Amino acid sequence: MLSPERLALPDYEYLAQRHVLTYMEDAVCQLLENKEDISQYGIARFFTEYFNSVCQGTHILFREFSFIQATPHNRASFLRAFWRCFRTVGKNGDLLTMREYHCLLQLLCPDFPLELTQKAARIVLMDDAMDCLMSFSDFLFAFQIQFYYSEFLESVAAIYQDLLSGKNPNTVIVPTSSSGQHRQRPTLGEASMLEGVEASLFYQCLENLCDRHKYSCPPPALVKEVLSNVQRLTFYGFLVALSKHHGINQALGALPDKGDLMHDPALDEELERLLAQIPGLVNSVTAGPEASCLPARTPPRVGSPWRPLHHARKVDAESDGSTEETDESET
Amino acid sequence: MAADSGLGDEGPPHGRAPPEHTPAAFSIRLVSFPHLRPAEVPNCGPTWESIRLSEILLLPAASPKSRWPQAEGYKFRAGPAEVEFKLNKETPSFPGRLLQHDLERNYSSRQGDHINLVSSSMPSFPILQRSSEEKILYSDRLTLERQKLTVCPIIDGEEHLRLLNFQHNFITRIQNISNLQRLIFLDLYDNQIEEISGLSTLRSLRVLLLGKNRIKKISNLENLKSLDVLDLHGNQITKIENVNHLCDLRVLNLARNLLSHVDNLNGLDSLTELNLRHNQITFVRDVDNLPCLQRLFLSFNNISTFESVCCLADSTSLSDITFDGNPIAQESWYKHTILQNMMQLRQLDMKRITEEERRMASVVAKKEEEKKRESHKQSLLKEKKRLIINNVARKWDLQQHRITNIATNQDGKDSDSQDHCQNDGSTISAFPEETGSLDSGLTSALQGLSVTDTHLVEVDGDTLSLYGSGALECLDRNWSVQTAGMVTTVSFTFIEFDEIVQVLPKLKIKFPNSLHLKFKETNLVMLQQFNALAELRRVDQLTVDPQGNPVVNFTLWKYYVLFRLSHFNMQKINGTEVTQNDMIMAERLFGILAHVASSELPQYHLISILGDARKKQFRYLLETKGKKPGIVNEENNDSKRLVGESTNRATLNYTTRDFYNEKLEEIKEKKKFCKMYIEDLVKEATEINMKNEALQKLWPQMFIELVRDAVMEIRNKNSYMKLCLQQITDQK
Repeated sequence: MLSPERLALPDYEYLAQRHVLTYMEDAVCQLLENKEDISQYGIARFFTEYFNSVCQGTHILFREFSFIQATPHNRASFLRAFWRCFRTVGKNGDLLTMREYHCLLQLLCPDFPLELTQKAARIVLMDDAMDCLMSFSDFLFAFQIQFYYSEFLESVAAIYQDLLSGKNPNTVIVPTSSSGQHRQRPTLGEASMLEGVEASLFYQCLENLCDRHKYSCPPPALVKEVLSNVQRLTFYGFLVALSKHHGINQALGALPDKGDLMHDPALDEELERLLAQIPGLVNSVTAGPEASCLPARTPPRVGSPWRPLHHARKVDAESDGSTEETDESET
Repeated sequence: MAADSGLGDEGPPHGRAPPEHTPAAFSIRLVSFPHLRPAEVPNCGPTWESIRLSEILLLPAASPKSRWPQAEGYKFRAGPAEVEFKLNKETPSFPGRLLQHDLERNYSSRQGDHINLVSSSMPSFPILQRSSEEKILYSDRLTLERQKLTVCPIIDGEEHLRLLNFQHNFITRIQNISNLQRLIFLDLYDNQIEEISGLSTLRSLRVLLLGKNRIKKISNLENLKSLDVLDLHGNQITKIENVNHLCDLRVLNLARNLLSHVDNLNGLDSLTELNLRHNQITFVRDVDNLPCLQRLFLSFNNISTFESVCCLADSTSLSDITFDGNPIAQESWYKHTILQNMMQLRQLDMKRITEEERRMASVVAKKEEEKKRESHKQSLLKEKKRLIINNVARKWDLQQHRITNIATNQDGKDSDSQDHCQNDGSTISAFPEETGSLDSGLTSALQGLSVTDTHLVEVDGDTLSLYGSGALECLDRNWSVQTAGMVTTVSFTFIEFDEIVQVLPKLKIKFPNSLHLKFKETNLVMLQQFNALAELRRVDQLTVDPQGNPVVNFTLWKYYVLFRLSHFNMQKINGTEVTQNDMIMAERLFGILAHVASSELPQYHLISILGDARKKQFRYLLETKGKKPGIVNEENNDSKRLVGESTNRATLNYTTRDFYNEKLEEIKEKKKFCKMYIEDLVKEATEINMKNEALQKLWPQMFIELVRDAVMEIRNKNSYMKLCLQQITDQK
């Protein structure tokens, strides 16, 4: 129940590090927000429900952005919610613009910043052609990297810039919140001479960064794997590789593999049920055009990082405060 | 002559009222001119030309002194000179202008018998000689009708001739008559004359008949100052000219020519009748310079507007006019316009104008006038509307620009204050009740127009159009039940959607029948904005103009609207019918979102979201200066009902940016408090925990120590017992 690291830290710091404080604060905040209504059905009930929803990842639905990005678990939950809600859009085969994806994000989080969506789109489109259409899966995986590792990527961008300009990265103190620095692209002349930076050097710096970094970063081993395949690479090349790396996706644990992206039998079933409810509709729904194009290649995987909802509800043991998302996926 | 030509349409139909008077200076009691022969148009009565001439030249039986039956001799007063014609005894003893044809035929043929056309020494000109008997009998007149003449014969010794008739010959040139200086009447009807000439010496000529020739130009009439009747019908004349000196001319016939317009008529001070039928006249000028003109015949021309003949309205003498066969006569306004503008008229198109007609005309004209004024007013309004819309559009553009460049633009404040200045113009509105008295055709056109500088509110039939954000204030006004009930379409232009959202509850109350919403230039950028529309009572149609609404560029927007507003069962989106497939697609795309939103949202959050929505509505309503509580309650019930209807969608709502930011601020405050509170709690808890842990650590040692002390104390039994006893006794 309690991990041994607990003893290495003072209690307060430990709780803070594990974001327990965040959730406790938020729970109280929510309680304050609706105290009349909640007191009607019981404070204890509320707290149970709150921490249950945190475990299930449904606590981020329609919440403000500051809360959604507050913890890695929230981020992962949001990614997953986004995937679940709009999987159907991707399934329909529509290619959408950055702005349209942004609108979808805003349906779940009304104040989702455009900047993040833009950055994610930049990973997919590799350039400033921001009006281009993207497929759902491309966007989703790029968005995952950008959103989940947002602070890490900022630092990486800074390191990349330093490497490009020839500074010795080991002497550089990496700014952790140097927003927007990576936008200063290498000038054209530099880029044409030698594009990108040397992979091994880059990795050294990143390894160093991962050690020190207080925000979540991808597992160094996987970063090494990504970087070992190439001699040189550019910043966006790196991001694309990260977003396409399925090990990282697995480690992050919010989304299924790319192949299973369109697959969610529980919700598909639910959708069929909803479709059947449309007034004045006959049985044409089940024989709809999409029934045939359902990707039927993979059976539901048992080891999926996310259990279906009803499973999670049975496990109550996790509601006692260890809400870190890695705990959850390990049990 | 016209009779011979067989042109029945050359004159007005029979039954025409005779002129009331014949000019006194010219009373002729001569019955027959040979060419006036209605005989050849049987059953047709006299044609117009014949009658016209007869009327001029013949004094009808009106005068009791000169009754036709007794009249044997007729007086022909030509100016100062008075001439008497002696007529053939066989001249009918009745005023049988209509019935005399048989006699005339006899007469003319007989006369012809007595004439000898002797070839002269010059081969081209025959010389005419009459027998002396003949001369005595018809000393004043000579008829050379149908003699197949190709030239005018030389007429010798006939200087007294007053009347000369060359009808129906082939004469190409007028000549050899310059010696007949006493000639009064010259008839050259139906010849082949190409130019008017050879008349300069005939100063006393009063009647000149040149109908049915080939004349192209009116000319060489300079000396014919006493001309009374000039007949040039059936020629090829294109222009009225060289007639201005004919101050005695009373009748001018230019029918069947090639005139394209009428002007240059000044100087014709005696003209009473002008025949211009069958030309190609498009406009008439100068007629008001004819002081005596009474009859004007413009039938079968090309007149299409009243403006082209408006000078007729200025003529005071005109009493009889025809326009039939012109485009103008086809117009609905024709009759009353003419009657209204020409009060002096007695006959129009051969029909006597009755009082009733005149009254009708004035009524119609009044109406017309009113209509014109109204349409003018409307066009003014339209122009004003256009200007205002332009103004609003400019303001909107500025605003949009400002929003995008808010960081760099410093003059935002200035224009803001400007907005306020111009906004306080009072709004005027006209409700249909006020305009109800107007023409029924107008009420549908434009019922109410409310106008200020920065915004525009317009009710047009069933459409309420709002331009500019200020227009939203109109929803606070008290609309009449009738107007409010009639409005089914509400269109928003140049208004920030977020501002519209705030008035939606009001809209719902004030215009309960609004089914069709139109948005143009309203800054619709996000799908979630459509959530706001869900709170309305009913929406059948939605039109979102791509202009100023980027959301329309999204491929998903229509489906999202269908999904989110599915409880309205919408009929049309942007003019296209919603199909079943669209509905399925919408559900397919977003059904899961709704499902997740409803089934997975934790209860506490659901409450807070729905509570927010309710609160928000409540607040919008409160902002409308505290309406009656009843309405608010009803509103509350409404939203509850709505929640019941589509719970799984109700969580997808939209809060305007301002409202949302406000809420975030609020949350921030609470968060601050919670953070402190939790921090304190946790610190306290960890402290207790620490103490507890310390105690846990110390406790075994403490216990051991305690036990050891106790053991040590009781090691010496006796001394311990003694001690105990001592204590007991001490206590006592």
